[in-house]
Amino acid sequence: MNIQFKKGVLEICVLSVLAHKDCYGYELVAEISKRIDISEGTIYPLLHRLKDEGHVTTYLQESAGGPPRKYYRLTESGRNEEHEQKEEWMRFAASVNALLLGMNHAAD
Amino acid sequence: MLQTESEFIRVLKDRLEGTLDPAELDDIISDYAEHFRIGKESGRTDEELFGSLGSPDDIAREIRAMHLVKRAESNRSCKNIFHAVVATLGLGLFNLVVVLAPFLLLILMLFVVLMVGVVFTLVGPVSLLYAILQIAGLPAHAIWLNPVAGFFIATGITTLGLLMLIGDYYLARFFYRAGIRYLKWNISVITGTEENP
Repeated sequence: MNIQFKKGVLEICVLSVLAHKDCYGYELVAEISKRIDISEGTIYPLLHRLKDEGHVTTYLQESAGGPPRKYYRLTESGRNEEHEQKEEWMRFAASVNALLLGMNHAAD
Repeated sequence: MLQTESEFIRVLKDRLEGTLDPAELDDIISDYAEHFRIGKESGRTDEELFGSLGSPDDIAREIRAMHLVKRAESNRSCKNIFHAVVATLGLGLFNLVVVLAPFLLLILMLFVVLMVGVVFTLVGPVSLLYAILQIAGLPAHAIWLNPVAGFFIATGITTLGLLMLIGDYYLARFFYRAGIRYLKWNISVITGTEENP
């Protein structure tokens, strides 16, 4: 898939995963790259930006037999953002799909 | 280049030191260090982790651009917006078209309006003074054929010049803000993740 598509949807993917559960960076990266092939390193700058904008906060939590890990959690504004972006994406994807399927029928 | 954790961290540090303050840099470095640590705990090698993270150069460039745009936003100056634009340009060839071209065009437009405004506000009052002197019958050589019409034209030019200067100021402010928003969008959506060969 075109790399520029992916970059644009990365933010909503991160917000969406964090809406389900708090994650440490590696976990979040693994969760997303399981489904989308991305340069994993770009997730961290994105997380920092979301933190700057007040959409996520971080906290340290002990892990079993290792140093503490940095967890990312959605804030209230992050939840709103996730909600809005998801709605927007759903509408957009539905329109594009309708258009593409319509085109296929026309070609048949 | 050796694809190891320490090489990755070194490149990030090299590229970002001097731009980010030490606390911010540490925060970023610690994220990647944790990523390598947990990755290795789950059995992946340095090379694998390095490979899937992507080039530390690209990552540093993106972080740097984001940081400089933020700085230009909170601290408005010609120097800061210039640095922000240059850093964003470094994110991809594509930005020569979608960042540099509009930026230069805007600068040119603001400059032209400024220059015309300055000329009008200088020429206006002088020719106004001449018209008044001519009406009073004072100067030896007349520049206005019709001093009364000249009086009104000169007043108009002066006013127009002042309006252009004021307007240019507000235009510059408007485009500064819009430009920041555009650069942020550009960094987060378009550039910074060119596929690594």
